[in-house]
Amino acid sequence: MVAPVRTLVAWCPDWPVVATGAPLDEPIAVVQANKIVASSPSAREQGVVRGLRRRVAQARCADLQLHERDEAREARTFEPVIGTLDHITPRIEVIRPGTCAVITRGPSRYFGGDEKVADLIREAMGTVLNGRTEVRIGVADGSFAAELAARAAQPTRLIPQGKVAEFLAPMRVAVLELPELADVLVRLGIRTLGAFAALPATDVLARFGSEGLAAHRLSSGLDERPPDARYPPVDWSVSAEIDPPALQVDRVAFVARSLADELHQRLGRDGVTCVRVAIEAETEFGEEMVRLWRHEGTLSDAAVADRVRWQLDGWLNGSAVTRPSGGISRVSLVPDDLIAAKGRQLGFWGGETEVDERAARVAARLQGQLGADAVRVVERRGGRHPGEQLSLVPAATVELRGRTLFDDPEQPPWPGGLPTPSPTRVVSAPRAVEVVDKDGELVLVDGRGLLSAPPAGLRNDRRRADIAAWAGPWPIDERWWDAETHRRQARFQIVTSDGVARMLTLEGGQWWVTAVWD
Amino acid sequence: MAAAELLPSVVDPDEAIADRRARLQLVGDRVAPMALARERTLPLLDELTGLFPEGLRRGSTVSVAGSGSTALALAVAAAASTAGSWVAVVGDPDLGLAAAEEVGVALERVLVVDPEASSWSSAVAALVGAVDIVLVAPRHRVRDAEARRLSARLRERGSVLVCTNGRWPSGADVQLEVMESEWSGLGCGHGVLQSRRVTVSGGGRGASARPRSADLLLPGPLGRPELVHIEAPALVAQG
Repeated sequence: MVAPVRTLVAWCPDWPVVATGAPLDEPIAVVQANKIVASSPSAREQGVVRGLRRRVAQARCADLQLHERDEAREARTFEPVIGTLDHITPRIEVIRPGTCAVITRGPSRYFGGDEKVADLIREAMGTVLNGRTEVRIGVADGSFAAELAARAAQPTRLIPQGKVAEFLAPMRVAVLELPELADVLVRLGIRTLGAFAALPATDVLARFGSEGLAAHRLSSGLDERPPDARYPPVDWSVSAEIDPPALQVDRVAFVARSLADELHQRLGRDGVTCVRVAIEAETEFGEEMVRLWRHEGTLSDAAVADRVRWQLDGWLNGSAVTRPSGGISRVSLVPDDLIAAKGRQLGFWGGETEVDERAARVAARLQGQLGADAVRVVERRGGRHPGEQLSLVPAATVELRGRTLFDDPEQPPWPGGLPTPSPTRVVSAPRAVEVVDKDGELVLVDGRGLLSAPPAGLRNDRRRADIAAWAGPWPIDERWWDAETHRRQARFQIVTSDGVARMLTLEGGQWWVTAVWD
Repeated sequence: MAAAELLPSVVDPDEAIADRRARLQLVGDRVAPMALARERTLPLLDELTGLFPEGLRRGSTVSVAGSGSTALALAVAAAASTAGSWVAVVGDPDLGLAAAEEVGVALERVLVVDPEASSWSSAVAALVGAVDIVLVAPRHRVRDAEARRLSARLRERGSVLVCTNGRWPSGADVQLEVMESEWSGLGCGHGVLQSRRVTVSGGGRGASARPRSADLLLPGPLGRPELVHIEAPALVAQG
């Protein structure tokens, strides 16, 4: 098992008190939320310790000076102290104001041992602190043990490699700073880290979960987390500068093709593929255009280059409003949503996938030319109105290959939906019309759903037609729970004397043609 | 392995052969979409075959006109769509999708493209060859030169273009027109639309020029078309 990284922790005791700037030989305490968080040595002598309530502390020490905690000030005053360590090691981690950690591997090899480094650090910090407080230093495997070593230091404590567990064993479980866990452990009779570490890890995991397991690993002198075999996140994107900036799409596509080759090689080397690839183009004046394309490991270099061409074609040769003001100076391919490359299972008989592939290609191409919203496919929804049951969504948002429309036979029916046959034309922008009775009076429906007179004619500004057959009203009262989208309508089917069937909707005293059986 | 499986002696040999033929037929059916992709015609609903003397020939243009043209155009596309072809609908976002489904169009293979007038022609040209059936409803009058260019591309790529609103310049390979239509099921204040009886007359070019007409229920009570009566001269064997 990999040992934790050897770490040095430098600790300045009572830092919140030091940061107040008051002389430490007076009784001083720092309070936060009415509790003492730090106190000066002379206050401690009189019994003012961490965790006391403000009142109790004042009762124990009448001339106690209280300061509100100011973490920003603590950090600010600690900054010059760390600044002096920069010439010793560049990698300093501030655990909290007053405590910092250093990975000792590099500096120790350079300066000749952990002890030398500890002395150097103490000396450097001491010059800045100027006697306001001391510096205690602990060195151990892992920052948890190192910090405990620093707290036990007089003034330096080195825990030899591999002896961390021994050092930790007699410590009380409270040092884990997990009050709830420590409480349970104490009640179980487990008072020291050594006793806790002796428990089997699997049982700890089962009883205390992953937080408990992390504490168990710390108590055993291991790193909090098991060593992680995963690679750190890699930036897979590839990009290329185009100089001089290109105004011709073909030049960019040519560059994109070699970029795609590089991208695919990179992804392939690590056995991953991407679901989508973002093509980002930037002009010399900083205008950017990004569009995501479905990839799923199926696009060849040429296909990616095609998509670059389509995307930029729409941009460079589009309307004057959206056209960029300069040539393309940079193009990058950013893989999105990486998945393991497991290959793609093609349809056994091959035919339908080939047909689907062609349709998907043309859909992608038209999206590049006309915009993503101009190419849509059908998706099933629910609803009473002919236009609601099936709706159109941009083709870019769905996978077109081997597509099946979700159709749930268990789906309960929509009461109030229309029976078959459905209208062949659903008017997205309904036309206003008037329905009149035989005397030419407008026909209306009252609150009880009764017609004022049988409809006899249909007219708009230009034309008039006689109604040959009609049925209705079929009232519909939708979304009555929501004032914004509430709709109360009466629907009719009518056939005019010229043989055309229409669906009319009466809403708020106005008749509309909403669908036609063409 | 058990011997009985190798030697099905108890089974009648004729029955065994019939069983294998049936299984082979099943395989043939599954390969159909791919095989059809190379054939000269696209599948057509049985009810409409009388209106298409040559079948729905790849590379042809079909113009549909009259009241009820949308339903007829959907019926033309239905069988091919069911068999695995893609259908593109250009410039007609109001098309009733539920009606299309009832006629038999497979909605999962429908692309609805809505180009601006300036890019209409290039969008249709891009779709030709990529999808088998392109339904167009041009809002403008298609110019002769534009139509000729698209026709040439259709012949080359083997797709079928169906103009659903009669705005195709004269000279479509198959021309259908809905002459009369009459709804049934709806009374005065009662009933509901059930079916429409239409008379469709056909013309066209070449072998499709032969005049013919058919009485159809379009849509029938279930949404699918039904054939009532067909009037077409007997097929003459062509040399």
